[in-house]
Amino acid sequence: MFKINDYTKSREAFARAEKVIPSGIYGHQGPAEGCFVPVSAFPFFSERAQGSYFWDVDGNRFIDYMCAYGPNILGYNDPDVDAAAAAQRKLGDCTTAPSTKMIEFAELLVDTVATADWAFFAKNGNDVTTMAVMVSRAYTHRKKVIFFKGYYHGISPWTQKIDYAGVTEEDVCNNIYLDWNDYDAVAETFDRYKGQIAAVIAQPYMHNNFMDNRLPEKDFWQKVRKLCTDNDTVLIIDDVRAGFRLDLAGSDHYFGFEADLICFCKALANGYNVSALCGKNFLKNAASSLSYTGSYWLSAVPFAAGIACITKLREINAPKLLIEKGTKLKDGLIAAGKKYGYDLRVSGVPSLFYLRLADDPSLMLHQEWIAECVKRGVYFTNHHNHFINASLTDEDIAETIAVADEAFSVIKDRHS
Amino acid sequence: MTDQRTLAFINFHGILGSLTELCRQVPEARALLGNKKVTIAISVKNGPEGRLAFENGGCTVLPGVSPCDIKLPFSSPEKFNGMIDGTVTPIPSKGFTKIGFLTGPFIKLTDLLSKYLRATEEDLRDPEFFRVATLMKFYVVSEAISQIANHDKVGQASASYIVDGTAKMAIGDVVGAAIIAKDHTLTTVHEMPEACFSYMIFEDLKLASDLFDGKVNSVASVGHGKVVIGGMISMIDNMNRILDRVALYLA
Repeated sequence: MFKINDYTKSREAFARAEKVIPSGIYGHQGPAEGCFVPVSAFPFFSERAQGSYFWDVDGNRFIDYMCAYGPNILGYNDPDVDAAAAAQRKLGDCTTAPSTKMIEFAELLVDTVATADWAFFAKNGNDVTTMAVMVSRAYTHRKKVIFFKGYYHGISPWTQKIDYAGVTEEDVCNNIYLDWNDYDAVAETFDRYKGQIAAVIAQPYMHNNFMDNRLPEKDFWQKVRKLCTDNDTVLIIDDVRAGFRLDLAGSDHYFGFEADLICFCKALANGYNVSALCGKNFLKNAASSLSYTGSYWLSAVPFAAGIACITKLREINAPKLLIEKGTKLKDGLIAAGKKYGYDLRVSGVPSLFYLRLADDPSLMLHQEWIAECVKRGVYFTNHHNHFINASLTDEDIAETIAVADEAFSVIKDRHS
Repeated sequence: MTDQRTLAFINFHGILGSLTELCRQVPEARALLGNKKVTIAISVKNGPEGRLAFENGGCTVLPGVSPCDIKLPFSSPEKFNGMIDGTVTPIPSKGFTKIGFLTGPFIKLTDLLSKYLRATEEDLRDPEFFRVATLMKFYVVSEAISQIANHDKVGQASASYIVDGTAKMAIGDVVGAAIIAKDHTLTTVHEMPEACFSYMIFEDLKLASDLFDGKVNSVASVGHGKVVIGGMISMIDNMNRILDRVALYLA
């Protein structure tokens, strides 16, 4: 029997937070957008983290399968990354003239990422997806952009929808929304808007919420690539979430095609704040032409961390390792569910797995199971894909499966 | 931006529709109607149509315009909305002999409705008045969600992402509504559903009232566990986007 967590201090902290911060905790890490169902099962605030774990303010330890929603790829507080960052901090971080670490980092990305002839740095994923669309418009002098329904490309108005608070019709009037994997719809749209489409922007596969994640169908990307090439349209891959967990050369490389622009953030520097847009040479002048910068975008510490992170990911062949660990976990979770007669679906690439208990289409049973896991110290989320990090051990995986087993037994008893 | 046609649908199904709840909850409303049996048809060009049937002190909303005792035609949604605002006087095309009901009990009934839907702070200090006013507001809001989803351009965008199924919206176990989605069209049934695909439950009348009035934050309320959500959350997420527009229309 695993201990059931108490969250008294988390709740007290939330009451404080709500007085001075909109929503208490806003965005994807908050209880509403984060789909904490029921909220009573989830911790709200962390105190510290190490390797594959974080501890909340009540002292509960969690095996963390959200990895800060992606940035933790090597393990929290990775010694090599932290040492590189600490060394650079002694030299300087946010300075008037940038450090040459920036060049070193760009060179490393150009050497690592298949489609990269150059790299441009910012802070968040949204910074570089926005820049990618701006580059495509600067290059093509066109307005329209194709999206695939279920996408997430950030939080700027152009990435949101007409019914989102603070977004105007004009913000999204050039967005065209198509169904994922529907090549015919893409081709028809290119015909309908001949010479008007600046870019196709997509995640490498559909890792959206509330449904099983879907890989690209055979030849889908190759055919879209050709359409873009034939129509002088820029193909943008938003690899912010999946980047470096499928393939160090980029998720486009993993699926056998080449993007024109590729966006990275999350796993780029193991938690240090930096994002990167990489692209092909023919778009370099368009990238240069933008008025696009930020106060902290050229800070050197995250560059040093990024260099150490990418170097280590290469040394340990991280995608292979992460996919192996994810597969081991996936097999164990499915078997635990089967033992109690449950049909647990694990979709997406195993290093970025998505969970759904298929026995109840309303997802209420799934939410009950996830809640029982979280209350016992395994941090899953209800409707977001999860993340594997390199420090996850076989013992962690075994403990996770044992917790999942107990959680299945609890919901089985409850509903029998 | 609001749309007059959508507002007309809200005014008919939500505001006038809430007369059903008023008659259920308020003895004074039933007393005004007495044992009168009158059916009023409302027909709005390029807008809603339906009937309000009064019988035995109760009110029922019926589809279509016949049979009826009194018919009120409106040449546009704007004209109908004007009647709700009190700036347009309706002229019946049928039922001149029953006009006394229109100018008598019906006017008094709608005045009573306004008293609850536009309640003063002083009135709301009375716990029974507050209870009924909140139930009335719940009726209007739950109905407005469907009308906005079906008629407002931005609401339709939200509805386009709503999967088929029943969403339960409730205030504890005091009152509930089923918002049924089918092919991205929403229908509100003003009864607590036995089963649902997703749910959004407000802790109590006070919280519901404060949320509808924008006095508390819905996201923070989820964090506090005062608004409980579950099931197919994407339905609730998109319904909440529509709920944001309800305030715009009912302001």
